[in-house]
Amino acid sequence: MTTTKEPVITAPTTLAAPKTSPQLKQFMDNASVVVLPLIALAIFLTIWQSLSAAGMTGSLPGPLQVVQDTQPLVTGFFNNDENDKGLFWQLAASLQRVAIGYTLAAVIGVSVGILMGSVRGFQLALDPLFQILRTIPPLAWLPIALAALSQANPSAIFVIFITAVWPIIINTAVGVRATPQDYRNVASVLKLSKTTYFFKILMPSAASYIFTGLRIAVGLSWLAIVAAEMLTGGVGIGFFIWDSYNSSRMSDIILAVLCVGLVGFALDRLIYYSGRLLVVSE
Amino acid sequence: MSYLEIQSAGKRFISRDGKPYEALQNVNLQVEEGEFISIIGHSGCGKSTVLNMVAGLGLATSGRVVVDGVPVSGPGPDRMVAFQNHSLLPWLTVRQNIALAVDAVHKDQTEAERQQIVEEHITMVSLTKAADKKPGEISGGMRQRVGIARALATRPKVLLLDEPFGALDALTRGRLQEELLRIWEAHRITVVMVTHDVEEALLLSDRIVMMSNGPSARVAEIMTVELPRPRKRIEVINNPNYYRQRNELLYYLNKAKKEKLLRESGLKIPQVAPKVSTGGLEKTELFLGFVALSDCAPLVIAKEKGFFAKHGLDVTLNREPSWKAILEGVLEDRLDGAQMVAGMVVGETLGMFKRSNVPLATALTLSRNGNAITLARRFWDQGVRSNHDFKRYLDSDRKGKGHTFGMTHPASMHNLLLRYWLAEANIDPDHDLSMVVIPPPQMVANLQAGNIDGYCVGEPWNSRAVHEGLGFVPATDLDIYPGHVEKVLGVKESWATANPKTHVALVAALIEAGRYCDEPANREEVIRLVSQKTYVNSDPIYASLGLSGAYDYGFGRTAQTPDFNVFDQSGVNKTERLWVLAQMARWGLVSFPNNWRELFERVYCDDVHAKAMAQLGLEATPSTYELLSLPDGTRLDPADPLGYIERFAIKRDVTTTEFKLPSRLLAV
Repeated sequence: MTTTKEPVITAPTTLAAPKTSPQLKQFMDNASVVVLPLIALAIFLTIWQSLSAAGMTGSLPGPLQVVQDTQPLVTGFFNNDENDKGLFWQLAASLQRVAIGYTLAAVIGVSVGILMGSVRGFQLALDPLFQILRTIPPLAWLPIALAALSQANPSAIFVIFITAVWPIIINTAVGVRATPQDYRNVASVLKLSKTTYFFKILMPSAASYIFTGLRIAVGLSWLAIVAAEMLTGGVGIGFFIWDSYNSSRMSDIILAVLCVGLVGFALDRLIYYSGRLLVVSE
Repeated sequence: MSYLEIQSAGKRFISRDGKPYEALQNVNLQVEEGEFISIIGHSGCGKSTVLNMVAGLGLATSGRVVVDGVPVSGPGPDRMVAFQNHSLLPWLTVRQNIALAVDAVHKDQTEAERQQIVEEHITMVSLTKAADKKPGEISGGMRQRVGIARALATRPKVLLLDEPFGALDALTRGRLQEELLRIWEAHRITVVMVTHDVEEALLLSDRIVMMSNGPSARVAEIMTVELPRPRKRIEVINNPNYYRQRNELLYYLNKAKKEKLLRESGLKIPQVAPKVSTGGLEKTELFLGFVALSDCAPLVIAKEKGFFAKHGLDVTLNREPSWKAILEGVLEDRLDGAQMVAGMVVGETLGMFKRSNVPLATALTLSRNGNAITLARRFWDQGVRSNHDFKRYLDSDRKGKGHTFGMTHPASMHNLLLRYWLAEANIDPDHDLSMVVIPPPQMVANLQAGNIDGYCVGEPWNSRAVHEGLGFVPATDLDIYPGHVEKVLGVKESWATANPKTHVALVAALIEAGRYCDEPANREEVIRLVSQKTYVNSDPIYASLGLSGAYDYGFGRTAQTPDFNVFDQSGVNKTERLWVLAQMARWGLVSFPNNWRELFERVYCDDVHAKAMAQLGLEATPSTYELLSLPDGTRLDPADPLGYIERFAIKRDVTTTEFKLPSRLLAV
């Protein structure tokens, strides 16, 4: 028994020996993905801290100062007092506006986009108009919205909508037009019904274009909300930043800006991964 | 009415700059139910446009397509397409892709029945294991199989395959072709396939449609594939028809490509004479064999000067290494016809060459004269000038090694003339020396190497030896038997029976070419064309020695011999045919058939010649049997050929026979 076991034990060790090296390399690669950005961040913070210590950043505090100053904000992240809403609620209010405006933009954008993509008349009629409208900066819409809707909140939502809708329309239209002739031929040879064609061929085929539009749109709408809220007031992360500036709470601004960045990144990833789940390409 | 008919269909596109482009014009095709048709042609010839017209994806702008009695007005599942790039929906699994088609087409069936159809077709293409995978997760070959399964699952009247295996690697392509072959042979569905793969078309199809180049492409030719079914690749590639038909297809494609390049480079395809309507030729694309000799001129001229084309023939000239290869080529159907030596047609019919006795036929004497006898230079140094000198030399040189003479084929005039010339001087060609068969282009080299001491052959192979100082010419056939039959156009009798109109057209083209060659003013051009690399491949100076009429016998002796090569055919004394047969019998090459007149009636198609002459508007001089006299004073009386043979002192044991003529068969 022992004699038969011996080679069994030695064989795997000799075989395993060269294997550890690529595994180690793999581990090092993974680690560097985490470690290198951390090093970069540390360098950035160090420079910032030293500039601030040297008094070269004006009224902007150094990172250590920011951490010290924003202690109450962090502990009161979920604080839901009427006059002192925590950052969480500020972000939630902004996200709610974005959610409404963006959903509207997605529904209307995809519908109009499909119309433009499949009916040449729509494309010809609307495309020049949309090409001009889409270049208007989001904030330029705000006075128009305020004048038309005369309320701050709907106006902010409108700005989100009008910012997000163009990339969705344009990408959807392109996606529909890009449905490969092969698939259309399959549909016409099989004489597929209109609904079958829409759900089994047109939508899946245009999906990757539509999601590209949705992803661009979500980034734009998050960009627009902060600017819109700065002007309209009320609860929301944009207004919080503006309010903090007026109260000279520079550390709060920095923390809020950081939060805006993280949320924006999260939204982008959300759309990206849901697209990955839904879109099948060859 | 056929199951699928394309009736004078045309397709005109409007290009971007608003100009109309005629892609197809007057395309006609009839496909029977259960037939497998391939359309072959170069890219841009409109073969996919034809397929789309049948599918209804792009309708004909003139004419129409009718499937099972119903004109095509748009796409429909009764004409299902398996597209080149499979066109599977990548977001659906294999099963869902097939189900999408089945659900759309078989609406009247129950859910369970439809599922049954889907599963059945997944099994048919052996994809049960991959049924729940998406197209992106399976190989290219598997995807194409799904595409075919999807198409078949709709149970179409006509299955349309648009280069179905074009995007696959060679191994996978081969496997799928066999799989398609198996499925088709089990279901016998009507298939129209577009392909550019010649082997694929041959393996799968019943008929192959060759498209001419666009613009205004049309059906140029339709080939029936002569391979038995059920087919297996291994058996198919071992079938002799396979290579012949493959060559025909490749030849067609190459020709089409050349024409396309020519047109693109803005050059006109040279054509001397305008094409006359010949109407209803059974076969237009012909392969003719020739041997590199000056007297292949009529074939070369007919090709180069467009006489074949004028008579509606598209001829490829195959340079054959020997007369033996020529005969084999015709017997194996590799060649439609060939330039043959005078005795070959009768000889093969009589079974002279042991191997077989396939009835051959000839309607045309291609050339007369053109031969000479060459002796090695050392005989000149010994004072040999004539056959009698040579006899004296042989008598004085009894102790020397045996002499060997070269000739081109037992049934050739070279053999018969050389023997005649030797025997005239009392030299027995079988006992006093030996005779070997050597292909004409190799004569000079063999003389130089000392393998032979002399030979009899056509030009330019005598002039070549004279010019290089290797030998001299003691006699030409003008000295022995002027005006003899030299080369004939030989075909299989079964070929002549199957292609009567083509035979007449071919003979007519060659008669015209022969007359062209005989015109002294044309001789210089003839010499130049014949000497080209693809034909005789010789310095024109050698060819010119025979063809130009000035003949160099060597060592200073020259003569004007305008009749050295003669191609005109008028005024035939039919006894010349008997002379060849009698000489072959004299040397024991054949047993003399007592019913030779009956045999000649079969072998010599004088009616075809007469028809060809009539087609050309020429008056044919009637051919008769008359007394034939030779310069040596001998006379062949057609009433007594055996007596003629008997009078020769040197001969073999002459036998006679009652030749049983084989029954006329249409077998090709």
